[in-house]
Amino acid sequence: MSRPRLAVHALARCRPSLRVAGLPRAPHGAPRRALHATVVRQHGSITRPEPGTGIKLNFRDAKGDVLKVVEANEGDDILSIAHEHDIDLEGACEGSVACSTCHVILSPQHYDLIPEPEDDENDMLDMAFGLTDTSRLGCQVKLTRTLDGMDVQLPSATRNMFVDGKKPTHH
Amino acid sequence: MPPLKLAVVGGGPSAFYVASRLLSLLPHHQPRGADLKIHIYDRLWAPHGLVRYGVAPDHPEVKNVTHKFDQAAADDRFRFFGNVQVGPQSSHIIPHALSLPLDALSQHYTHILFATGCTIPTLHDVLPPSDRIQSALSLVHWYTQHPSHSNPPPLDTISHVTLIGQGNVSLDVARMLLSGSSALEQYDVPEVVLDVMRRSSVRHVSIVGRRGPHQAAFTTKELREMMNLKDASLLPIDPAVLEPPPDAKLSRQQSRILQLLQKGSVNAPRSTPKSWSLDFFRSPAAFSQLPSGKLRISLAHTALDLHERAISTGETSALETDLVVTALGHHADPAQAFYDPALRHLRTLSGRIINPLGRAVKNVYASGWAAMGARGVLASTLLDAYAVADTIIADHFPGATGATTSIAPTAPPAVSEERLTAENVVLNSIPAAVEQGLEDGRVVGYEQWKAVDAEEVKRGAEKGKERERMGWEEARTFLARPV
Repeated sequence: MSRPRLAVHALARCRPSLRVAGLPRAPHGAPRRALHATVVRQHGSITRPEPGTGIKLNFRDAKGDVLKVVEANEGDDILSIAHEHDIDLEGACEGSVACSTCHVILSPQHYDLIPEPEDDENDMLDMAFGLTDTSRLGCQVKLTRTLDGMDVQLPSATRNMFVDGKKPTHH
Repeated sequence: MPPLKLAVVGGGPSAFYVASRLLSLLPHHQPRGADLKIHIYDRLWAPHGLVRYGVAPDHPEVKNVTHKFDQAAADDRFRFFGNVQVGPQSSHIIPHALSLPLDALSQHYTHILFATGCTIPTLHDVLPPSDRIQSALSLVHWYTQHPSHSNPPPLDTISHVTLIGQGNVSLDVARMLLSGSSALEQYDVPEVVLDVMRRSSVRHVSIVGRRGPHQAAFTTKELREMMNLKDASLLPIDPAVLEPPPDAKLSRQQSRILQLLQKGSVNAPRSTPKSWSLDFFRSPAAFSQLPSGKLRISLAHTALDLHERAISTGETSALETDLVVTALGHHADPAQAFYDPALRHLRTLSGRIINPLGRAVKNVYASGWAAMGARGVLASTLLDAYAVADTIIADHFPGATGATTSIAPTAPPAVSEERLTAENVVLNSIPAAVEQGLEDGRVVGYEQWKAVDAEEVKRGAEKGKERERMGWEEARTFLARPV
């Protein structure tokens, strides 16, 4: 593990305010107050269940290969779980639904069990790369018992997104 | 292992994401990470580029990205030097920055990354800047109190503003003009800006674009925020404009934007003190100034050709307005090394700088808007930055497996004989002028920035707001105080 992460980990330990696991979702249309509610999704932001008692998740890479099978508790969100287990899932805006970097693809049978995304999440998914019909923002999916065994696949990113030297004409 | 001593020119999100990725992929305790140094130079005294001087104040959650930048900066292999302008620029808009020639920098480094962004607003052919015609960038510079010292717009004497361009920057400016000071007071809006906003007499904002709703560059979130404005309503749009062409295959984003437009604003048209309009298929063709001081803009009506280009239909209409704000995108500074006039940004291939002969310049890279042009949200900047970090690692440690993004670095193109960077460097050396600047208090390190940052937040909290910003003179005085 890299040193900077350790540094923040230590900081999170000594400053309980940094350990807020998630912001309450703002009601529809209301501005999200995220001024100083620093949400640092690092180790320690969630607790791991006793092995064998938690909800199982299969994290898969873009090719579909299993990266890690992990266990987590009811109410934990996918982004926090990913960070707890060193899965390379970004959370640039730290769960405030202002980016699409924690985009994940869920197994269809589990996707249908989750409450539908709200407008703000859908607005961010509009901009996600490699969007599928079962895409969600990891920060917005909270675990329930029925999601046991769910696949969580990281989307594929390709160089095609960054067209070196070519610019679409706007004329 | 040969040292990897990287100078990054520019200290915005792309620079910090490349740094963060390199530091975490090449950990301290591994041989490959032992001789890694990353030094970021920014022409501004404060780091984080558009996160500080671009993100709209009412989007505070976007600024959470800086926590990751702080983490990178906490690594002792990282240093930041603010207030250093590296290489030429076409206008010296940052008067107090230390000017450092590129070769004075490059002799201290084995690698250089240009993360210089797109700092120049693209102007409109028929709308040259004047006191009544401003770029959106100058407004953004004003409301973020950017060190270039943009003059405040005359909001207290005008009622009608016309934005040219239909991207997110345009909607940011519209939202700032229509939100009202009371909705913005809690955020990171400097008091001098709020003072002007409190006196604003702006009642209507027209947002003009030469193409239609399916070509508009704004994103769903920004449009929704416009629709939800408390004191403003959208004037009705001609329903014909909102009919999708019969053979059109709309993307998810296009369909959702269309639905939002069809629904209109939460407030009924004209039910509010302020209003806004989206004027599609209109392109400024000429303007004249009326005796009253107002501008009369002649708008050519347009339609799309087969390639979705806007062509004039021959019809025109006139729009009278008090202030024109052009929001037509940005490009890189043409005075910069490796600038390609056709691309309007630096010429790169998979993050490697390409010289005019089509060869890669050894150990010289570019990332972010400097390499891609000014488009894409933060997520695309992040992915691009990670891919560039992978390319740097793949070039420096050939054969080693290190890439962790799913974006495999492409094989290096033919490499030029020219050498911009040094072969042998002293790991901790920095240019003498920068050393002197640090001593004089003119060059700002990351720890000093964090001290200013904390003070700004503290001063903001006293007023019940996110932060109260300092300008350079204030920051310099604050940093020089006896501790």
